[in-house]
Amino acid sequence: MAVREVLIYPDSRLKENCAPIVSFDESAEQLLQDLVDTMVDAGHSVGIAAPQLGDLRRAAVVDVSKSKLGKKQENHGLLQMVNPEIIEKEGSQIVREGCMSVPEYTGNVTRYESIVVQFLDQNQQLQVIRSEGFEAIAIQHELDHLDGFLFLDRVSSLKTDLFRRKQK
Amino acid sequence: MQHFALTIIGRDRPGIVSQVTKILFQGGFNIADSSCSILGGQFSMILIISNPAISTTEEFSDTFKPLEESNLSVYIRTLKPGGEIRPELEGELCMISVYGADKPGIVYQVAKELGDRNINITDLNTKLVGEKQTPVYVMMLEAMLPENTEIEEVEIWMKELKQRLQVDISVRSLVVMEL
Repeated sequence: MAVREVLIYPDSRLKENCAPIVSFDESAEQLLQDLVDTMVDAGHSVGIAAPQLGDLRRAAVVDVSKSKLGKKQENHGLLQMVNPEIIEKEGSQIVREGCMSVPEYTGNVTRYESIVVQFLDQNQQLQVIRSEGFEAIAIQHELDHLDGFLFLDRVSSLKTDLFRRKQK
Repeated sequence: MQHFALTIIGRDRPGIVSQVTKILFQGGFNIADSSCSILGGQFSMILIISNPAISTTEEFSDTFKPLEESNLSVYIRTLKPGGEIRPELEGELCMISVYGADKPGIVYQVAKELGDRNINITDLNTKLVGEKQTPVYVMMLEAMLPENTEIEEVEIWMKELKQRLQVDISVRSLVVMEL
């Protein structure tokens, strides 16, 4: 068990494209465990991705079942994801996101309402799950980290969008 | 460090932001927080600024003279200590959209419902849109609901107001996810 330090932007490792995990060895298992431990230790967090710990491999964990709003919705509990990939997406929803790596700021982000995500779980089994609502947002946010995207790259202002379109 | 609120407004044209921020940069100011937008035909800038070497407006107000000369109005307000710190707001965020045929009092009536119940409006934008003959008023606001206020209650108040004002109002919670 190891709770690790969460990197804070402008640490450049948060903007890197992470590499797939080719051999699912002990160090990959350790990484998943560290992700879970750090997420749990952070109390309010519902997910964390490997680059936030400075590890540039494609792994992330999500668990919305402990959060006040997340547990009201259908969810998959603790998801440990290696080489995750979104293979289907539909709808859109707006959410105000914050991130442990970008403290003191939240912004409105548009996310898919429903996604199908494929990954290797902690037992090296291929999983394909459909996720919606809160959990789907968390997964999209964490998977963005693996591509070096922060929510700041996705922030949109609803008011500006609405008003801009109306202007002639 | 002393902070100041700087407000600048004038007929919109390209180059206002660069003209203003050049003066701030050359004067050694930091911009802590700012919001700038076109309102009507006017570009308006509100900035919270500071400079470690400056503690009174007299020390720098003259540097904005060139702005006044190019038809921008400049107003500087000295903040009280701590006035630059954003308060820690606790509660559920909700978003209220109001739109309908333009008539007097839309903003006031909605704001009164919230203000009377001690609900803090954290953001508000309004715009007059639509055709000249049939103007439509659009307002969007964000408000922080205190702990003892549920979004369902806000929906009830707004439903009643919707009837009274004959406008459309929708209320939705803005989920904040800490990830």
